[in-house]
Amino acid sequence: MKRLVNTLGVVVTTALVTAGVAAAASLGFGSGSLGAGSVTVSGCTSSSLTATRNVDNSGNVTQVNVLNVPQACAGATLAVTLENSSHASLGSASTVVGTCTGGCTVTVAGFGTVSAANLTAYALSLTQ
Amino acid sequence: MRRFRLTPRRLAVGIVCGSLSCAGVGFAASLGLSSKGLHAWSQTLTKATCNQTSTTADDTYVQQASPTSTAGGTATTLTISPVALAQDYAFIRFNLSGCSLPTTGGADSAVLTVHVTTAGADTISVFPVTSSWSSSTLNWNGVSSLTVGSTATGTFSASTTGNKTVTVTADVDNAIKAGTLWGWELRATSGAAIVAIGASENGTAANRPSMTLSDEK
Repeated sequence: MKRLVNTLGVVVTTALVTAGVAAAASLGFGSGSLGAGSVTVSGCTSSSLTATRNVDNSGNVTQVNVLNVPQACAGATLAVTLENSSHASLGSASTVVGTCTGGCTVTVAGFGTVSAANLTAYALSLTQ
Repeated sequence: MRRFRLTPRRLAVGIVCGSLSCAGVGFAASLGLSSKGLHAWSQTLTKATCNQTSTTADDTYVQQASPTSTAGGTATTLTISPVALAQDYAFIRFNLSGCSLPTTGGADSAVLTVHVTTAGADTISVFPVTSSWSSSTLNWNGVSSLTVGSTATGTFSASTTGNKTVTVTADVDNAIKAGTLWGWELRATSGAAIVAIGASENGTAANRPSMTLSDEK
């Protein structure tokens, strides 16, 4: 009986430690603000593609253009979040990458009213 | 309660169970992400200002009554006239090369300032120019070969002397992406007076064209 209790103790302890590691990993990834670099898991590209934005004459973002999206990403969902200097979201939008020849410029619109002056970073993702 | 002692056997059991648990969690995580084919990244923008003065400006005015004249390129004021058969158009641009802006950059805000030196009850409209010109060669006959926007970016009243501003953010943003800013054509779209604005060659610095520019790259 004591042996069983001891063994169960080891198992429970190990499970708790494992859960802690898993939780920490989850927190790190989720809060990872995708700002410190890039994350790729079996995607159509591993490149950090360049984004630009257009503005209207009031200085508000009208659209974001992601350049040179590989053709292999056709059908993937491209999501863009506009961030301020605190990495807080100013607006998000997404679109499905269409088919094209070579590298595509993919346009994402519908961020609401976001002043380009407040925009300091893009957080982008491609999900297949 | 007895104190727990870590024996080799207990350690082995712990390692085996822990490994199995970790493998299970890892497999589940891997399965979830792989099925989404996720690629995530970020891009940080750098903000700056690159205000433009007469040292980076090129300007002229062209005269319908003297269609081959390029005298406007060295004039100290730029005349704008709505008079029939004697219309004058002014042109102003800035050289942004000193701003080191890549074509992936953009304008957060841009405001053109001109100084009306001779007032008149005209509305002056500012149209974007997207083809090349130089004050040393542009004349009235050459205007028809320029690419000028059909919609005015902005307007101002020239009914009083002094500084007049026009927001030109979208034009400058587009120009940064195109690689060159070819500026604007200024012409009277209402009124009948002949007015003038200070040129980059004006002896009074405050009368010269300028532009405030906040950019990103």
